[in-house]
Amino acid sequence: MSNTSVYDELDQAIDQMLAEPGAALPTERTSFNELVQLAQELRDMPPENFKNRLQLELEWEIAGRTVSNESEDARQNVGAASSASANVLPSLFGKSWAGYPVRRINFALSLAVHGIMAFLAGAGFLMVKSYTPRIDTRPVVTVRLEPYIVPAGSHPSNGGGSGGAAERLRASRGVAPPAAQEQLTPPIILRNNSQPRLAAVTTVIAPPDLSLPRMREIGDPLSVLAAPSNGAGVGGGIGGKAGGGVGGDGGPGRGPGSGGGCCGNVYSPGDGISIPRAIYSPEPEFSEEARRSKYQGEVTLLATIGADGRTRDLLVVRSLGMGLDEKAVEAVRTWRFEPGMKDGRPVAVQMNIIVNFHLF
Amino acid sequence: MNAVANLANLTSLDDERLLIQAAQKDPSRFSELYEGNFNRVYAFVARRVKDREEAQDVTAEVFHQALRNLGRFQWRGVPFAAWLLRIAANALADRWQRAGREVSADSAELEAESGPADVIEIERRAMLFQLVDRLPSDQRLVVVRRFVEQKSIREIATELGRTEGAVKQLQFRALETLRKKMRKSDE
Repeated sequence: MSNTSVYDELDQAIDQMLAEPGAALPTERTSFNELVQLAQELRDMPPENFKNRLQLELEWEIAGRTVSNESEDARQNVGAASSASANVLPSLFGKSWAGYPVRRINFALSLAVHGIMAFLAGAGFLMVKSYTPRIDTRPVVTVRLEPYIVPAGSHPSNGGGSGGAAERLRASRGVAPPAAQEQLTPPIILRNNSQPRLAAVTTVIAPPDLSLPRMREIGDPLSVLAAPSNGAGVGGGIGGKAGGGVGGDGGPGRGPGSGGGCCGNVYSPGDGISIPRAIYSPEPEFSEEARRSKYQGEVTLLATIGADGRTRDLLVVRSLGMGLDEKAVEAVRTWRFEPGMKDGRPVAVQMNIIVNFHLF
Repeated sequence: MNAVANLANLTSLDDERLLIQAAQKDPSRFSELYEGNFNRVYAFVARRVKDREEAQDVTAEVFHQALRNLGRFQWRGVPFAAWLLRIAANALADRWQRAGREVSADSAELEAESGPADVIEIERRAMLFQLVDRLPSDQRLVVVRRFVEQKSIREIATELGRTEGAVKQLQFRALETLRKKMRKSDE
């Protein structure tokens, strides 16, 4: 008998033994029969992974963990659908063991975590999808302060004026006369000719938009003398210097300083002059007209920040209209600043204030 | 000679006693007891149940119970395997009782089967299972596929990418190797 026939003969005997497990085996003790008997005993051998799987279960139990006691039978008797799944993920469904015991709680937790993640992802899409753009018509006003750039250098703008009639007394107290771009007649308190042929309004040279309270008597606002006097200066006007103005160091203007203008020296920031910093700056209101029209833009104001930190001499440089200019002036007038400083002393500084009216 | 005496001859009692004491103090050492007795318990159970799944369930139940009750085990000179087989017999009796079988008859059957010949047969099978693990990998694979999973030669040949003749040859060589080693151990 060749080796090949022995292989076949043995395989046939094994086939028969496997097909009829209860069939009696040949009792004759030959080498061939011994092989068949061994084959029959090997049918009772534990499955390949069972030993390792049970060992893992015991180790988990020793570690204080619980594992599924689900039998292999129960695992294999799942429905057709899950059987198909088990073929895809055998370790997940307990069909085979891939190093760790199957625990239902792990599967449930994994399912829950994935469910939550899917919900969050879906919720994100829903939120994006349901969002509708909304126009918020609430007005937002932003203010930008800009130093005023003096066209010709950074020398202080002059104000002030003076004059007088070479009298012994200093100029008497009163309010400054109206301001004008040019001066036809200097102000005078004591008139030599009470009925001139061509009467002209007495003015000082200063920005014409200044609104000053009008009193009956004009004079030097800085004077304390009540007795009427044009002052000791010359050249008309009121005060102790030359020129046609009121008070100051000479010139046709009003107040301290010299030359035309008013109110003393006004500086421009830079060159040793610090920029005033707003410390109280309520936002301007939006005008109802502009709000309805959804009108927006910028208003530029030229303002002087006095040494006292208050704004004055507000001038609309770039108008916006629809009542927004007035709203800007109205608000900026209430502002308070830390004044600009020169040599450690507060000085008046002229600068632009840009008010931005914006609708969301 | 009774069954317990037979088992006692097959194990080194002193080593086993020390191992049990160590496992009682440190349960992680239980794995060594498991390793040494797994095949015995499985062989004992597999001879008494009808299908492989039930054999696995009972074997698992035996070792889980043994682990839980290890602290109560008192060394009296009998091998640890005897204690495990007693647990296995009780587990089988419980199962049969739940299944509605006659308990008294089955218990008697268990007792009767636990004689010396049965113990020797269990030891023989346990050794056979152990020897399979020491076969060359291709022979071991054929044995597992053919006898445990009961696949046909053609299925195994397809899986291994070999001819059917080559698989039959591997099957023959594996059984022949096992036969020789079993004979040697019997001597």
